[in-house]
Amino acid sequence: MTEIHPSLWQCAVVAAALKILLFPAYKSTDFEVHRNWLAITNSLPIWDWYYEKTSEWTLDYPPFFAYFEWAMSQVAYLVHPMMLRLHNLGYDSWQTVYFQRFTVIVTELVLLYALQIVCAPRFIDSAHGTSRRAAQAAAISILLSPGLLIIDHIHFQYNGCMYGILIASLVLARNKSGLLASGLVFAALLCMKHIYAYLAPAYFVFLLRTYCLPPRSIYKIQFFNCVKLGSGLVAVLGLAFVAPRVGLPVNQEALKSVTRGLVGDTSFAVLPEITPRICFALTLLFQVIPLTKLFLRPTWEAFIGAVTLCGYASFLFGWHVHEKAILLVIIPFSLIALRDRRHLSAFRPLAVSGHVSLFPLLFTPAEFPIKTVYTIFWLMLFLVMFDRLAPASNRQRFFLFDRFSTLYIAISIPLIVYCSLVHRVVFGNRYEFLPLMFMSSYSAAGVVGSWLGFMGVYFTS
Amino acid sequence: MAAPSSATHKPRRNKAKKTAAYDAITKPESLVRTPSFPLASFLWPARGSVSQWEVLPLILMAVGLFRWAAGLWGYSAGAGFQAPPMFGDFEAQRHWMEITTQLPISQWYFNDFQWWGLDYPPLTAYHSWLLGKIGAIIDPTWFELFASRGSHDPTLKIYMRATVIVSEYLIYIPATVIFVRRYSRLFGVAPWTAWVALVAILMQPATILIDHVHFQYNTVMLGFVLSSMSSMLAGRHMWAAVFFVAALGFKQMALYYAPAVFSFLLGSCICPRINVGRFATIAIATVISFAVLILPIVLGTLYDASRGIDSQPDLDGPRPPLPIFPQLAEYLDTNAIYYPVVEQLVQMVHRIFPFSRGLFEDKVANFWCAINVVIKMRKYPAVLLQRISLGATLASIAPANLILLIRPRKELLPYAFAATAWGFFMFSYQVHEKSALLPLLPMTILLAGKQGLGKDIRAWVGFANLLGAWTMFPLLSRVDLKVPYAVLTLLWAYLLGLPPTSTSAYFQEGQSAWLQWSTAIIHGAFYILMIVWHGLAQFVTPPPDKPDLWVVANVGIGCAGFILCYLWCIGKLVQESGILTRSVRQSPGSKSKTQ
Repeated sequence: MTEIHPSLWQCAVVAAALKILLFPAYKSTDFEVHRNWLAITNSLPIWDWYYEKTSEWTLDYPPFFAYFEWAMSQVAYLVHPMMLRLHNLGYDSWQTVYFQRFTVIVTELVLLYALQIVCAPRFIDSAHGTSRRAAQAAAISILLSPGLLIIDHIHFQYNGCMYGILIASLVLARNKSGLLASGLVFAALLCMKHIYAYLAPAYFVFLLRTYCLPPRSIYKIQFFNCVKLGSGLVAVLGLAFVAPRVGLPVNQEALKSVTRGLVGDTSFAVLPEITPRICFALTLLFQVIPLTKLFLRPTWEAFIGAVTLCGYASFLFGWHVHEKAILLVIIPFSLIALRDRRHLSAFRPLAVSGHVSLFPLLFTPAEFPIKTVYTIFWLMLFLVMFDRLAPASNRQRFFLFDRFSTLYIAISIPLIVYCSLVHRVVFGNRYEFLPLMFMSSYSAAGVVGSWLGFMGVYFTS
Repeated sequence: MAAPSSATHKPRRNKAKKTAAYDAITKPESLVRTPSFPLASFLWPARGSVSQWEVLPLILMAVGLFRWAAGLWGYSAGAGFQAPPMFGDFEAQRHWMEITTQLPISQWYFNDFQWWGLDYPPLTAYHSWLLGKIGAIIDPTWFELFASRGSHDPTLKIYMRATVIVSEYLIYIPATVIFVRRYSRLFGVAPWTAWVALVAILMQPATILIDHVHFQYNTVMLGFVLSSMSSMLAGRHMWAAVFFVAALGFKQMALYYAPAVFSFLLGSCICPRINVGRFATIAIATVISFAVLILPIVLGTLYDASRGIDSQPDLDGPRPPLPIFPQLAEYLDTNAIYYPVVEQLVQMVHRIFPFSRGLFEDKVANFWCAINVVIKMRKYPAVLLQRISLGATLASIAPANLILLIRPRKELLPYAFAATAWGFFMFSYQVHEKSALLPLLPMTILLAGKQGLGKDIRAWVGFANLLGAWTMFPLLSRVDLKVPYAVLTLLWAYLLGLPPTSTSAYFQEGQSAWLQWSTAIIHGAFYILMIVWHGLAQFVTPPPDKPDLWVVANVGIGCAGFILCYLWCIGKLVQESGILTRSVRQSPGSKSKTQ
């Protein structure tokens, strides 16, 4: 079989060059958060990690992430031990910046590896018309995602690595033999960052239906598989929580609040006067609806669709969901966006609105051209390429929906121009809420629209 | 507007390509199954039916991203970031925006020379004035007279970076796009191949490093030169002259190309037959564009003089004699109305061409600096050195220009421009490291030409560019720009499949084994030397009695490599012009008939 060009590795090399050039770019407090975690895990015994309070940025990710930080801190010690001092708050010497930025690039190799599995010929199902070319295009679109560039390489986080694990887990679920591994990998991921708990219901239903229950009858439980899965999960959780056992209560606290509770961000769709309880109920409701279909027809495509819809539900209705969580929707969706044109037309408004909604994360003028030009570059490249690669659907398309999605994408250009340039020129520093409001409502409309569209596609296919 | 024209041209071009394909060494493009280097892989999906309106914006956005990201790094700030007292090129450019917007026009070239006095031609001054005016709308404190000196406001940095990019996207990039299109069509090269070449040209590491990282506006001048060259390709000789005057008017360094421009334009007036009309048009256009160029200064001086504004307000007592050509004053009436204009123009020339400085200032990889290791040049009188330098420069540029004069063919332009610029770089007076950009540009545009992406040209163009960037390393490392240097240089090497990332550009089928091996061994030796040098410069401190050892080694190796590039350009020029063999002349001659 001939090679498809460009290869993932080639894209990764060029992307890495750009990411290294971005070393001096703006970095958020997350940079200091992660530096502090390096310091905590390196200089304290394991049972004190979750009690350390010198910095306001206490360690509040689950234990596997703490181990991950610990492993990196071992290297950091060789590079520049100063960054590992607990009391060196806000320390950002150039060695620290280079080291931490570099770890983001290196750990993204996990994502690269996972995407290579996505493109591997044995995972391509030609019966569905999904050619290797389409799989490779989707994989490259994830690798070059502006979301990851903005959040990880400028704003600073380690999502690339973790989404790599998620994709590996999703792809493993494709083959029957990989189901157990998929579940365990996902459990491990949950022990790295609790935000993925939003996707857990889809995993639960899918594994229950395909792994624990036989395909024909749902009444004969496959006990051996259940035992395997159960003991695997216990092992993973044990590995995570046994060592910093004493820290468990703190960690549960963190799990309950689900995010660190960064308030006052421009995360949208959460109206005032809504209690966490209502949010939870709504999230659950809109997760259960697609999950019933998954339970009845447990195919891999339906599973990815259900994961995507769980992501949508939690992003739209979750309590204190940060705008960064949009990647929970975009990345699983990318894997099936090229199934046919109907999927693609639901994906397009999401791709635009999801990435535009990340713009307020970077508010410094020096990063403005990077975020806008890179996002426009990505949108133009992949929307055109996907458009060529997506096969026609065998079902009637939603005529109006297509037109609206094109109109929606067209609006983004004047909107970005207005918000970034025209508003400042016309109003100066007055009415600063206006651009933010426009952006938020635009993004909200796109996400909700694509959600409704995808719901339709999901239930009719 | 270009799309329909390309459609009408297509059949004819294909025919031309077919005839040209016989003397081609490598396979026709349609038979190539796999891309031979990573940059070709990236554009691989764009083969076939993709329109240029989809590919071109993506290319321009991608190269723009790399430029802006590289610009996030520090700029030239003297010895170390934000170091007083003089800062660097960044402060020079900012200061010019300050004086051009704050002082009357007649004082621009007289203002304090010690603090980055304006020593570039008038177009740079007007450009600075415009950017200063726009910048002052955003923040007037950036360009306040005196108070703004040495300012390192981060927003100012962003504004200045943006001005470089905007200037480049208005001048250099359209010029490159048009040049690549015209030059590739001249040889019947397919549009897809031309796009690959375009990306390679726009990602040239040295240009990005000097303009967007270290900070300068070279690409404006280079853009005018490319416009001039594409006008020559299109047969618009008058416009070639006008654009070249603009290049000269922006930066006097464009003089490196002047002999080649002159030879080509003159050659096309006398060969194949004498064309007086064309000669007159070119001459008049040149004179008029020079006049337009200095017109604002002349009018401004007259206006200021009529208002009683002195061009040298700090001066007490009688006016000093003219800085150069003092004998002029004997023939002129110093009280006449035109005298301030004469004084202004003489001062401008004096500022732009600093004859009073030494043969070389810093360590630069040219002949004089390299020979200085063996023979100390400073012990000779300056006049003698100037004469030797002039003689050597003329001797080095003579072959290329004579060939261009008797064979003024469009295909030869890049070779002749490169050879001439190399000659100037190696032997002329007061050369700067950054001047290596001038010979590199015409060499790099060869990628868009016949067999441009084949191994031979790719290997040599890559060698020159990587060596050129390498000789700029001491300049860049002085201001902590090692990381962008490493990233941009290695990225370009990777994209074009060049050492140290790959050896795919060597051992071309169909070439003589002797030539292949000698090229590979010579280039390989230089690449190994460069890598070893980087290791030494990074980890080994030079002996105390020779603190400049690594810089001198850099100069020596760089100079030797540049001489090779110069010889290669001359060799290719001779080969392509066909003045030595009559049989080679046949095919280009028949091709020029089809046009």
